[in-house]
Amino acid sequence: MLQINHLYKNYGKFRAVNDLTLHIPQGDLFGFVGPNGAGKTTTIRIVCGLMVPTAGNIMINGVDAMTHQKEIKKQIGYVPDFFGVYDNLKVREYMDFYGSMYRMTSREIAKISDDLLELVNLSDKKEVYVDTLSRGMKQRLCVARALIHNPALLVLDEPNSGLDPRARVEMKELLLNLKSMGKTIVISSHILSELSEMCNSIGIMDHGNLVTAGRIEDVMENVFGSNQLIITLDDGRETAVRIANEYAGVKVNSVGEHEIKLSHTMSKAEIAKMIGTMIANDVVVTGFHKQEGDLETLFMRVTNQEGGQENATQSNC
Amino acid sequence: MRLNPIVKKDIKVQSRSMRICWGVFAYELILALVFFLAMAIIQQESAYSTNNIYSRLVWLYPVLAVTQLIILGVVVPVRTASAISGEKERQTFDIMMTTSMTPFSVIMGKVMTAIVQSMFFVVASMPVMALSFVIGGMSWSYLLWFLAIALLVSLFSASIGIWCSSLCKKSISAVIMSYGLYVAFFLGTMLPYIIYQIAESAAYYNGTVTTVTGYSYGENVCLFWLINPAVYLVEFFVEVMTGESFVSQIPNIGTGTLQTGGPIRYIASGHLWMVLSTVMFVAISILFLWLAARRINPIKKHGAKNKA
Ligand SMILES: Nc1ncnc2c1ncn2[C@@H]1O[C@H](COP(=O)(O)OP(=O)(O)OP(=O)(O)O)[C@@H](O)[C@H]1O
Ligand SMILES: [Mg+2]
Repeated sequence: MLQINHLYKNYGKFRAVNDLTLHIPQGDLFGFVGPNGAGKTTTIRIVCGLMVPTAGNIMINGVDAMTHQKEIKKQIGYVPDFFGVYDNLKVREYMDFYGSMYRMTSREIAKISDDLLELVNLSDKKEVYVDTLSRGMKQRLCVARALIHNPALLVLDEPNSGLDPRARVEMKELLLNLKSMGKTIVISSHILSELSEMCNSIGIMDHGNLVTAGRIEDVMENVFGSNQLIITLDDGRETAVRIANEYAGVKVNSVGEHEIKLSHTMSKAEIAKMIGTMIANDVVVTGFHKQEGDLETLFMRVTNQEGGQENATQSNC
Repeated sequence: MRLNPIVKKDIKVQSRSMRICWGVFAYELILALVFFLAMAIIQQESAYSTNNIYSRLVWLYPVLAVTQLIILGVVVPVRTASAISGEKERQTFDIMMTTSMTPFSVIMGKVMTAIVQSMFFVVASMPVMALSFVIGGMSWSYLLWFLAIALLVSLFSASIGIWCSSLCKKSISAVIMSYGLYVAFFLGTMLPYIIYQIAESAAYYNGTVTTVTGYSYGENVCLFWLINPAVYLVEFFVEVMTGESFVSQIPNIGTGTLQTGGPIRYIASGHLWMVLSTVMFVAISILFLWLAARRINPIKKHGAKNKA
């Protein structure tokens, strides 16, 4: 879907993006993670055709983005990190305006914008002036706007910044919803835990370099050797350990009074199956989760080599 | 043909703000004041002369027309200066550039908005302007000429404003730069002529040219006046009011017995001059708009700059 090949970007002598090669398959929700100044925004702006790379190329659905700007623009919806709205413009007119910039007819726009506003939960705000909307509403409106031309790829630059927890949850649901509709989504953030809940793959960037990228499980496995899972239970500890050991790639690390810690290389589906088997065998599972702080540790570990070592050892015990 | 979405949106947004009401109010107020002032002067003048007062009332036309053109020239750059930089300040510009709008259609949208707006002012002030036709006895066909010139002035000042807007980060610096460009057009085009005059009078004073006969080509520096808006307006109104051409005097402003040679002899006749000058102003406007479109294009085709 989105293929970035050996992308470089220099600002004068400063190199903001250094030899970035990345492939994001169709239907992925890809999280782009990195500390401030890592080069996320720069990369995203290049992908959206707002900047020329110093070197490298970008292919979207096999079409070169540099030479086929026109086609590419129809395929990308972009939600920038900071954006403003116009005064004295109503929500419906805002959607109209952007729709007509894609040369859509007013009938097409009316239909699609109704659906989109429904999707982002702003149906009752159609006649409201956009500058009076709350921050979270503006953010959702901006997502709806980015989808007006039905792009295959949606790119969001830190859509969660400045949102309260509730608005974040709504945003997450919206993105998952869009993913289920078959959109490919790229989202940047420096808050990892949020991304881990919705993204199925991530890329970690630091100082312009892509440190690691791939499916979340693979990335974790690459860095930690395996994934950590904690199962909390009330009863049936022995059965649970026995079942866990039956699965390939599972290593039980510790067994406590009410919890089992294990490292594994399983897919989500396999985990679900394993837990299901446990429950079917009368183990009273009260919960299971990835080891707390895992992603933060991962983040620290890959973005800061020295500090990362300490954190990693802490998380392993 | 479909309406440029930017025009539709900008007009809608601006018509909702109170600014436009105050704008029209101020515009008409100034016109009304100028009208009364002109009437007062005309009345006073005719008190001392035997001439019929009505023969002087025709002067209401150039006075009101020039007043409007000056207001447009002053106001349009201010309004267009925020065309691009305002979108950048509001951070809506990036979004616009990711849509199917080409840089040129964005610029065209902005310039069309500006023109529609200034024509709105012009039309809104028709009642005042009509006085010069009703009581001034001017032929109504001059109304069309006035509209055409107002259109040209709007186009010209809008394209200057938009080009500056595309260059500057801040709207305010775009305004200042636009006025700077005005000065360049008004005074800069006069400069070659002034230099020529000084040089010639110096030569005259030294007695080097007194006896030379033949052709003088110096007056051709006046060709720069083709792109001087003031000369353009003076030529237009002098011709309308007196039936004589102002610029056709140029070939005669050479000194001594020299005859003026070169293209100026042919160009400096009323109609040809106006036609050429109009073409020049339109061409310059298009050039500015093209430069602005090039400037805002994030993906520059040639010599892509790495420094943002
Ligand atoms: N227009 C510019 N001119 C010069 N340097 C720039 C420019 N834009 C960004 N940079 C530099 O490039 C680097 C990467 O910036 P970028 O905005 O891509 O980071 P980011 O990952 O988006 O960070 P954040 O999380 O803070 O948004 C930074 O060091 C920044 O200083
Ligand atoms: Mg950023």
